[in-house]
Amino acid sequence: MSKKQFNKTSKCRFCRMGADDIDYKDTQNLQKLTTSQGKLFSRKRSGNCARHQHSVKLSIKRARFMALLPFVA
Amino acid sequence: MYEALFIIDNARANTEWDAAIKHIQDILHKNGAEILKTEKWGEKKLAYKVKGHKRGTYLLVHFNAKSTAIPTLRRDFQLSDYIVRSLIVKDDKIEELSQIVPVEGAAPAVVVGKEVVEVPEISLLTEEVVSAKVTDNV
Repeated sequence: MSKKQFNKTSKCRFCRMGADDIDYKDTQNLQKLTTSQGKLFSRKRSGNCARHQHSVKLSIKRARFMALLPFVA
Repeated sequence: MYEALFIIDNARANTEWDAAIKHIQDILHKNGAEILKTEKWGEKKLAYKVKGHKRGTYLLVHFNAKSTAIPTLRRDFQLSDYIVRSLIVKDDKIEELSQIVPVEGAAPAVVVGKEVVEVPEISLLTEEVVSAKVTDNV
């Protein structure tokens, strides 16, 4: 009945923080955007805007390359 | 302005850290790079095995160099015995360095304390994928 309404005015978490881009070295925050397996959360799940989701994707892939985050956990 | 992150062979980092740092600096200087900042993250467990290593010592270096020097730098790092893995990323806006890991001061001679210059608003991705090849393969 009362489906959770999606608030169109709310911004993505990085927009709210006013973050320009996401640092691949910040593994603690990047980890929150991955599943327990280490997969990336979808844009729908993470609530990120297109720009920041791109940035997150790139950062996580860099972090994986440098063995800061797992490819598969 | 570039930012390089190295994973250094742990066994060698413990015994001959100064030599390892000097080795990296020599490579950078040889290619005409100007080192702005060197920071040791210390030993960390790797998320997966890299060339048989389970642990590694991380080293972060900020430097200025010509864009033409980057491919040779990357190859030199790859050939190095000390370095297990390296990543060079272009970063026009070097912020106050990570608060993630408690930072132990690198060897005193290493740190060239240059103040971070304020850079005006930068659109979209400030980090350009210098290592596009690498990350794409990932």
